[in-house]
Formats: sequence, C-alpha cells, structure tokens
Amino acid sequence: MEKKYWKGIEELNQTPEFLKQRNNEFQEHLPIEEALGIKASSPTESTRRDFLKFLGFGVAAASLAACETPIRKSLPYVVKPEDIMPGVPNYYASTFNDGHDYASVLVKTREGRPIKIEPNDLSTLNSTGTSARVQASVLSLYDNNRAKNPVANGNSISWSTLDKEVKAKLAEINANNGNIRIVTASINSPSTLKVLADFKAAYPTTEVVTYDAISFNGILKANELSFGKRVMPSYNIDKAKVIVGIGCDFIGNWIAPVTLAAQYAKNRKLKGGNKSMSRHIQIESTLTLTGSNADDRIRVKPSEQGSIVVSLYNKVASKAGASTVTGGNATYDAMLTKLADELWANKGNAVLMCGSNSVAEQTLVNGINVLLGAYDAIIDLDKHCNLKKSNDEAFAKLVTDMNGGNVAALIVYNCNPAYTAPNAKEFIEGIKKVSLSVSFAEKQDETAALCKYLAPDCHYLESWNDAEPFNGVYSFCQPTIQKLYKTRQAQESLLAWSGAPIASFHDYIATYWQGLAPATSTPNQFWTQIIQTGVYESGIPTKTTINFVGSVADAASKIATQKSAGEIEVLLYEKTGIGNGNQANNPWLQELPDPISKVCWDNYVCISPKMAATKSLAQGNVVKVSVGSQSLTLPVYVQPGIAEGTIAIALGYGRQKAGDAGNNVGKNAYPLISFVDGSMQYYAAGKLDKTTEDNYVLAATQTHHTMMGRAIVKETTLAEYAKNPKAGNPDVLIETPEGKQRPKDIDIWATTTQPGFDRPNHSWGLGIDLNACIGCGACVVACNAENNVAVVGKDEVNRAREMHWIRIDRYYSSDTTKENAASKNLGALSMYGEMEKPSVENPKVFFQPVMCQHCNHAPCETVCPVVATTHSSDGLNMMAYNRCVGTRYCANNCPYKVRRFNWFNYAENAKFPYTQYHQSERMVLNPDVTVRSRGVMEKCSMCIQRIQSGKLTAKKESRRPVDGEINTACAQTCPTNAITFGDFTDKDSQISVMFKEDRTYWLLEEINVQPSVFYQTKVWNHDNKTEKA
Amino acid sequence: MKLLLKNHLNLRTVLLWVLVLTGSIAYGQNGEALFNANCKACHSPGADKVVGPGLKDVEKRKDRAWLTKWIKNSSALIKSGDAYAVKIYEEYNKTAMPAQNLSDAEIGQILDYCKDFKPPVAKAPTAPTGDEKKDESFPWFLCIGVFVLIVLAAALNRVQKGLRKVMRDKQGIPQPVELKGVDAAWSWAKGNKKLLAICLLVLAVWGSVSGWYALSKIGITQGYKPEQPIKFSHKLHAGDNGIQCLYCHSGAEKSKHANIPSVNVCMNCHKYVKEGPVYGKEEISKIYAAVGWDGSAYTGEQKPVQWVRVHNLPDLAYFNHSQHVKVGKIECQKCHGDVEKMDVVKQDQPLTMGWCIECHRTTEVKMEGNGYYTQLHETLKKQYGESSKLTVDKIGGLECARCHY
Repeated sequence: MEKKYWKGIEELNQTPEFLKQRNNEFQEHLPIEEALGIKASSPTESTRRDFLKFLGFGVAAASLAACETPIRKSLPYVVKPEDIMPGVPNYYASTFNDGHDYASVLVKTREGRPIKIEPNDLSTLNSTGTSARVQASVLSLYDNNRAKNPVANGNSISWSTLDKEVKAKLAEINANNGNIRIVTASINSPSTLKVLADFKAAYPTTEVVTYDAISFNGILKANELSFGKRVMPSYNIDKAKVIVGIGCDFIGNWIAPVTLAAQYAKNRKLKGGNKSMSRHIQIESTLTLTGSNADDRIRVKPSEQGSIVVSLYNKVASKAGASTVTGGNATYDAMLTKLADELWANKGNAVLMCGSNSVAEQTLVNGINVLLGAYDAIIDLDKHCNLKKSNDEAFAKLVTDMNGGNVAALIVYNCNPAYTAPNAKEFIEGIKKVSLSVSFAEKQDETAALCKYLAPDCHYLESWNDAEPFNGVYSFCQPTIQKLYKTRQAQESLLAWSGAPIASFHDYIATYWQGLAPATSTPNQFWTQIIQTGVYESGIPTKTTINFVGSVADAASKIATQKSAGEIEVLLYEKTGIGNGNQANNPWLQELPDPISKVCWDNYVCISPKMAATKSLAQGNVVKVSVGSQSLTLPVYVQPGIAEGTIAIALGYGRQKAGDAGNNVGKNAYPLISFVDGSMQYYAAGKLDKTTEDNYVLAATQTHHTMMGRAIVKETTLAEYAKNPKAGNPDVLIETPEGKQRPKDIDIWATTTQPGFDRPNHSWGLGIDLNACIGCGACVVACNAENNVAVVGKDEVNRAREMHWIRIDRYYSSDTTKENAASKNLGALSMYGEMEKPSVENPKVFFQPVMCQHCNHAPCETVCPVVATTHSSDGLNMMAYNRCVGTRYCANNCPYKVRRFNWFNYAENAKFPYTQYHQSERMVLNPDVTVRSRGVMEKCSMCIQRIQSGKLTAKKESRRPVDGEINTACAQTCPTNAITFGDFTDKDSQISVMFKEDRTYWLLEEINVQPSVFYQTKVWNHDNKTEKA
Repeated sequence: MKLLLKNHLNLRTVLLWVLVLTGSIAYGQNGEALFNANCKACHSPGADKVVGPGLKDVEKRKDRAWLTKWIKNSSALIKSGDAYAVKIYEEYNKTAMPAQNLSDAEIGQILDYCKDFKPPVAKAPTAPTGDEKKDESFPWFLCIGVFVLIVLAAALNRVQKGLRKVMRDKQGIPQPVELKGVDAAWSWAKGNKKLLAICLLVLAVWGSVSGWYALSKIGITQGYKPEQPIKFSHKLHAGDNGIQCLYCHSGAEKSKHANIPSVNVCMNCHKYVKEGPVYGKEEISKIYAAVGWDGSAYTGEQKPVQWVRVHNLPDLAYFNHSQHVKVGKIECQKCHGDVEKMDVVKQDQPLTMGWCIECHRTTEVKMEGNGYYTQLHETLKKQYGESSKLTVDKIGGLECARCHY
C-alpha cells in the first residue's frame, strides 16, 4: 500500500480551518494596509492602484534622495616619490623593439601609468615620429588577455616551482647531452645576446635559431654571397635622387619604415622655394603604401620580378661596360630601358631596393647597386641594420630535428611559429616530441598553448632592455610602470636557469653598460645618462671598400630555371596596421583602416577590377584560394592598381589565441608561404574559385574611390611647379556684384576697422603638406591614444559609426573627367557613374588627412540649438559635451564630415570590450580628456588639452610659448612631418611661413567656411610621357 | 592740510613712537616665545626626548654659564674636551647641536621658562568647538510672531462670532445652523471664491518657485563637512601654527591638483611632535600607523590614509590649481573659505559653474610682470580703453573649451 504523509494533524483531521486555508494560495497576511497606515476597519480598503501610487511615490522619493553626491575617497601616497607630482606627466625614454619593429620612444606617464608613446627626438633613427604599431603598443600593455602568472600544463604555478621544475629538467637534459634549442625572433639587444651566451655556457648543447615571421633571409644570404657579410644594410635614401623599389614596401613595412619614410619625405619636400625632389619608381604586384606614393608605378606579377631584375642588370651593365648575363624580360623592355637610362644618368645618386626574399634576385640587385655606385653614397653595409637576422634554413632544420626526436628542450622567445610558420603543422607535431618546452610569450598564444611551461615575459613598458638597431647605434628601455601581473623578463628567467651570479636583469644590464663607460664619465654617470636620454651612439664603423664577389651569372641562371608561376599568383603581404600579427589583439590596430583599401577588422583577397569582371566577382563574394594543398576561403576586395593575374592576401590575421579582440578576425594566410631555394617565398601559383557562401560584408571606412572631378587634393607635376609655384592651385574665384573675388574676401561680419575675426592672443592652426603625407595612419592611432577615442568594432564601422577624429581619405585618379566625358559619349548621369570608377590600369593614389577644420565661419556652430559647439578667440571650434543634446544637426551641416556621434556608452557597454570597458584597459585613458557618454557629438579638438597645458607652462614661466613647443598628437607622431601645428599670430612661426607658400589652399574654399586647417598641393615628379608608357 | 600735518607730526614724535613700540615688542618676548622659536623643534621643556634631551631640570645638571657656552657653540665645547659635552655628543649619535645666535639675556629667559614649565594636564578629548556651532540659527522670532498672530486672529474671530450671536439674539433673527468640519470649510469656500483663487494662485507660484530652487540645488554640496579618518585640524596647523598652505598642498603651484599631502610630509614635523593639544597621542598615532613608524624606525608596513574628498568637481570640468594660484595669484581662501579657522574643513563655496563664471567676470587678470601677457595687454588696452578692468572673460575666460574638453 502506498504510504501517505500528512502535513500535520490538521490535515489528518480535516478541520474546517484547514480546508479553508488549503484553497488559499497566499496564506500569510500581507500587511499592506498597516504599511500604508490605513485602519483595517476603514471602509476604504486599499486597492492595487493605491499600492502602485505608493510604489511610484516611493521610487520618486528614493531617486530624489539618490541625487546626493556619492562620497569620494582620496588616497595620497604614503611616501610620495620625489619626482612624481600627481597631475603632472612624467616622460621616460624607452625603446619599442618587438623583433619586428623598432622605435626609440618617450613614454608619457601619469600617476605611474604609461598613457602615450611619443618619438624620442634625440634618436637619429626616428626623431620625426613613430609608426601606428608603436603608437598602439601602449594599449597592448593593458591587454586583458595577458598571462597573469606562470603556467605549467595549463595550471597556474608559482615562479619558484617553475624554476625548480625547469632547472631540474634542463640539468637532466644537459647530463644526457640532449639538444637544447632557443627559437627567437631577431635579437639586437647586446645584453640579451650576452644572456643567451651565458645560458649556452651553462648548457653547451644550446643553439639559438633566429626565426622571423616575415623573413629577410634572401637579402641576408645574398649579402653573404656578394660581400661576405650576412647582414642587412642600412639605407640613406635621403641622399638618393632616383629611388627604385621592386616589390618593396619600404615606407610601410620593410626594415625600418619610420626611418626610411622620414628620409624619403626629406627630399620630397618643397619647402622655402625648393624646386627639386627625388624621383621614385615602384615596380610591384599589389598596390602597397610605397607604390601609392611613387611617381611612376609599373605593375608586374610577382614571378616576373626576377626576370625584370635580370633585364635591368643587363641594361645597366652594358652602360657600365660590365659583362651581361643571360635571360631577361621582353614584356617590359621599353619601360626598363627608360628606367636604366634614368638610373645611369643619376649614377651615384640612385638606389634600387628589392623586397624579394630570393637570394638570386637580391644578388642581382646588389650587382646593380654596385654598378650604380649606390654603396658609396646610399647603402651602408658597415653601419648595418640588426633588426632582421632570420635564418630560414636553420628554422627548417629545427622543425626536422624536432620531428626526428633530436631536440630535448625547446625555448620559444618572442615568436609564435605555431601560428606564423608555413610548416606550422610539422612544428606542432614536433613540439609534442620535445620533452621540455617553454614559452616566454606574454600570453597563452598559439605556440605557448602547446608548450609545457609558460614563463610569461613582461611587456616592454615593464622591462629593462637595450637595443642596437643599427651597428653602433644603441637605444635603451626602462620600465615605466610596476609589473601589472606576475610576469618576469625572459632574460631574467634565462639567467635564473643558467645559475648566473646576477639574477636581476637590471643589475646585469647596468653592469654590462657601466663596463662600457667611456673614459670621460664614471660608470654610474654613464649608465644614468644613457637611461635618461635613451640613446647612445658609439663606434659607428667607418666605411670599408665594397668588394662585390657575388656571381650574377649564377643568380641569373637560377632565375631562368624558375618555373613561371601559373595563371593566378597569390601574393602575401603585410598591412601597415596589423603587420605580422603579433599585436593582433590590439583594437586600435584592428580598427585602423588599411591605408589603401580603407577596410578594417579583416583580411581579404585583393583582385584587380579586370579579374573581377572576367570572373564575374563582386566585392564581398566569398572565394576559395588554393595554393598546393593549402586553401583559404575569404571575401573578395576589388583593388585598383593590382597587377593582372595577381591576387593578394594580408598576413597577420586569423589568430586563434590572440585574445578577445583579435581571435578569428580574418583568416590565417601564413600556411600559403612556400619554402623555395632555402628561403620563404611570399608568393605562389594558386587557384581562385567562387564559392556559394553568402556575401561577406567588409567594414570599410571609405567606400567611394575618386574625387569626382573636384579639386579636393590639388596636384601638379614638378616641371609645372618649377615654372609656376601656383601650378595646380589656381585661386578659387566666385562671382560677386563687384566682379570675381576670392571667397575669403567676402565676409558679412567684417567691418572696415575689423577685417575678419578678433584673434588678440593666439590663432591656432594646422598645415598639411600633401607632398609629405604618405598615408601610413600613425596619426590616427596617436589621436586615439591622446583623445580617448572609442573603438566601436566591425559591426558599427559597417554602419559608418567609427569614432576616429582624424581620417586619411584615399582617392584614386579616374580615367573619366568632365573634359573627356563628351568624347566618350557619356551623358550627364553616366558621366558621374564613370567618374567614380578608379583608373583601370594604374591609378594615381592621393592621401589626405582630414580632421575638424576648425572653420572660422563654422556651419556646425550656427545650427546647434543648444549652443554646445562654439568658437574660441584662439580660432578653435569648441565642443562642450555636457551641453550637447545629440540633435546631430552639426554633423549634418559639416561639409567635411568630421563630426562623430556617440551611439552607445562605449565605456560601459559590454558590446564594446575594446579600450574602455575593462578596468585594465581603462588605465590607458588620458585623464585630461573627458570620456564621452552616449548621445553626444565629438570631434577633433586640435588637442586643446595640449594647447592649454602649453599655454599654462608659458604663463608660469612668464614668457610666450615657443613655436613647436606645443604640438598636436597627430603632428607629433607623423614620421614625415607632413602635419605642422602652430600659431598664425606668431608671424615667424613655421606654420605662418608655410601658409604663405604658393601651394597652400583650403579644402572646399568655395564654400567660404574659412578653416584653420590648410593643405598644400601634391607634386608628382614625373613627365606625362612616362605616365603613358 | 599739509602744513597742519607737519605741525602735528614732527620727527621727534615719530621717533618717540618707534622707541615705545620696539620697546614693548622687546618686553613682550618672553621665554616661551623664544623657546618656541628656537628650541621647540628639537627639545621638549618637559622630561621627554625629542631630537635632543628634554630640558626639565637642565640647570640641575649643569650651571647656567656652562649652558650658555653650550648653546652658543656646542661644537667648540666638545672640541675643548669638556667631559660632559663629549658625553652628550656621544649619547645623541654624534649629532652636535647647531650654534644658536642668542644673547645671554635671551638664554636666561629660555632657561627660566624651562625651570617654570609645568606639563599641561592632559585634557579629555573633546570634539572641536566648531562642530557645535549652528551654521544657521532657527528663526525663533518669526515663529513666535506667527504664533501670536494666529492666537490673536482666533481670539478676534471668537469675539466677532460672540458679538454676532448677541446681535442676532437682540434682533430676534434665528441662529444659523452650525456647520462642522469639511462642510463648514466647503461653505466658506463657496462664499469666498475670489479669495480662495488668489490664495491658490499664490500657493502655486510659491510652490513652483521654491520647487525650482530646490531642484537647482541638487548636487550642490556647499557646506559639505564630512568626518575625516584623522581628526586633522586646519585651524591648529594653518591658523595657530601658521603653516603655509603650500607647505602641505605643494601641488597647487605646479599641478592641476593641489594634492593631499602624503604621510611622509606629516612626518617632517610629527616625528618630533608626538602629542597634539586636543587629542593627545590618539590622532597622531594614526599617522604613525599609516606610515609604519614604531616610534624609532620605519617598519615598512604602510597603509594609505583614506581621506574623504571635500571639494569635488565633476569629471567634465577641467580645473587647474596652478593656473589660478601661480598665474592668477588667487588666494586659496577665495574658493576654500577661511580654512585656517576651520577645525573640520567644509566646502565653503558652491563650486557651481555660475560661481566660476561670476568670478571670471569680476576678477582682473594679473598681467603685470608676466611676459606671456605683455603684448596682449597692450592690444587689449587699446581695445577696451586704458582704464578698463581687464577681467578674465575679456581674454576668453568664458569660452567653453577653457574648462570642458
């Protein structure tokens, strides 16, 4: 019989009370009446409505009470460091040197937090500026995905346990004579190299394998064969009159882009009546940043580069009376003849730079440069570059050894082969056979996740280090913040494991440098001085005579045997923002639009418009690209200027373990690298097939391509400019009753006594030399860092809601103009349709940075219903965020489209976990700039916080601000000094002098908004004949 | 007028006055003042050691002649090999007492003061008197007046009612039915519609005006006077002891923040001043706990003091102390009130934008002697006229982006 339970005796007895209560769900009496003070006997029993009334009143009362200001605590230092004054920034010299890029920098810290990277103007390499990647590196410090403690087999452990276990294992391996391998990116730090030597002394079976994701093995080996030195030369292209780049993005991504860009711009500036500039011819396959700045550009397939180099060698050699080699290229013969003539005519002032990783091609390029006398003047093999040292053959051998079980211990430092190696699969297999694997990565990246131990390295802003980027040029790195997590410098780990007497790397590096003190100062003085200035130069070798021993004939025959690649060639390239992908988790870099395509947050397959037409592909179609056994599916991007038969895919994307922002952004193209003739080859024959996948939307910040016949970027040629400095920049004139006038002379506010505006104190402005702007985008990231600009993510960029205060517009030239439309039989509408299409063959590219133009007759100011945007007597267009109600009238009325609306509260919305959401990332915020909230407008303030602080410094010192003392973030970081900031009221200031030049113009002058920002005409150094050739 | 002055103020009278004044000053310098000015930093007049020995019964240890020699030049005495001098020197870690530029008479006064000194009887800690003072006195007079008026009106009303009743009785008119409670009010209202309307209108206007003011006061914390973790008295430090504001708030001339001093600044004095006049050792011991001072050495155990911020500006406003203090030469008291008279600091001013602007409209820019303004000053003088006041608003001090960016 089923058991029966009673709730109590009442249920058993079935009392009337129990029966009544059983049907009443809420048995307990709710004391609503009592709570409201109504007597139970009262006939007006409270209803639900009364309850809601009281509830409503309660909420209102509570929220009124909540208006009370919260109590804020203030915690001063217990013992304040003498050199820190809260509220005043401190600057420390340091060095960014991640094995891929290098920059000597100043780190701006506020209250002990690094918040901004600035160029170190004492450096001889990058005093002008820094690149976008260097600017962004400060955000990587606060990356929420960094490793927070040492890890063993996926579990957190302490450093002491890790040391004990690793040391025991190393001792065991050492006893058995097992091979220890350290695989590292190029190291140029003298003291780190010494640490490695010490480690090798303790464990003699150690060998260091240098492996870079983007290899320069070809040029290194070619120099070894040609000159007996396995080095990367340094270049002084500011001394060159003719620069030829062959597949070499030297101002965007090559050995030292900032240094080369500064040199490049130096003799392309037409300052103070200068009428000469260098000439740059680029031979390349995809449209690179360098190619888009070239005066002339020749499109070739990647596989054609070899034969072109052979042809060029023969043509130059026959002029020089040297013996020629077999082979060559007939397709481009006419162009190459002209090019050879030009090079020969500028012998001693001409240089060839080749980006190929083929030893044969680089040997021939060396040959040409020797014939042209470039080694005496421009290329320096003695003050050589130490930034690139990779050895592809050694890495290939390492992977083979690992798989063969010949490696007992593998230590991975500053590289990520499981992600970047073309043979990543073999590497991953191999690492499983290694009994001790340790990674020094800053986070659990693709390689670290496979290693048994992760001994997390510190970020460079937490580290001591030194660097020797060029022979004899030194640069130093000092910590600018306490370690955020339980990390330890890799050097310190190696010292600890090798049982060195000095365990602290600071002491080690200090002792090392104190030992090198010159006789003129004491060791301590010397050490303090080099750390303070951050740079030191000593023992720069004098030039030795060049003795070219390379065999050009062998090289030529090797090129001749190269298989001509297939119908479609896949070229792998590096983007200016993401680079090799080591900072892929940096949202500033992910949201930095590619300079050419203007696409962010993705990589894609670049194809030419012609290929798109023949294969009936449109932008966003998803295609499958196959190279050998490897394949990738990616969306198509139709890229004007790419060589026919070539498709290009960016490296550095498709990370799996980069972190929240970088994971699964784009696809990983590293597996498409092939290993040819002892070197990594960054192109291969491939196949392209359309897939049935849905269209993919690429997030581009600019979707139109041309200027539609308007003079937005004004241009001219050097020859025209020499004849007439106002060439390409005729005055804008509009009809008035008094005849034609310049718009600036028509002013309804001007009176006879007061022409224009009252600027009694300052009149700030920006001047942008379009001839110097290379479009690299460093200014965009610098602005993000300085002004707390939010990152909004791919989705929002697609809705055109990116927040960048400065953008770089990129325009292509078009084949159709208003003038030639009639001859093409185009009607009015179809004419505009055609004008929006970039030139099919080889479009010219224009870059134009656009920020708020700070119009003196600002259209935005007059339409604001709440007067939230007004003008200052310093000539600035001001924006009071807390006054703004978000009508967005100002953005509608802005002719330059530079105003940005906060659609979300990016700092507190979990949808935007990029730069302001996590506590750790908020540490990068500039405390002098408001973090904007939802529903308000924002825009470039011309770094008003810097202006105000510069003025204050001057006032405190009882003087006027010195020209150049105050600078905006964009101008400060520009590698080519294309942006100049200054005060128009100071007649001798750089900007006032620049403003008077004939190339000066205002953007959209005809609308007469009288901007405080002006531009200068772009001048091309080519004749029209070459263009047509 | 000039002649008249000359007659009255001749040189002799002036000299006489100077003599009298200086004489009285000299007379006023007693031992205590001399001690406080010259000795207090290192010595206590009582028995306890500070830096040097306590001076209680010092004359019982050595005679006045020896002491005078020692005070004037202790090093010489030590060098001369005086046994007691060397003993003291050895005892205090070979730190010689700096030579004091004092006359024999002054030394005598100091020693007299030490002889007569009696340590103060430790007072029981009491709350600072400033706390008890009511900031706004209750309007008692007004209340009493209103009450008297109400009583008067009620009495008169009653008298009137009684008189009416008597009149009706006399004339033989029947008494009207007495209404009560709500009904009475209702009937009165019906009879006095105009008066009621006016009253309601007045009430509505008063309600909205006071409501508006109440709303505009939300978030304004003028008078905010939070309790602090250490009962630090600005009155004692800045007022009685005359320590300059900038000694502790050193950021005010250099930074946007005036900065709350770090505890090591407190220790500059409180390493020696171990007892306060009001709370004795209780509050000062909190400093020692924060900085980790065990009475003779730092233990390294530090715990920051969590002060409560009194003056809070919203994040959207950029305020820079150095601009106002160093360039504008504004007194601290202008915005912070008479802090040197406050035991517990309170927010003296409203710190609203209207308050900022009001000051920018009335305060003249300190242009004289500042090279930054030289040229601007000339320009503006031409624009506004020589005699015109060049206030902050005339150089753009009301522009939004001076404070909001």
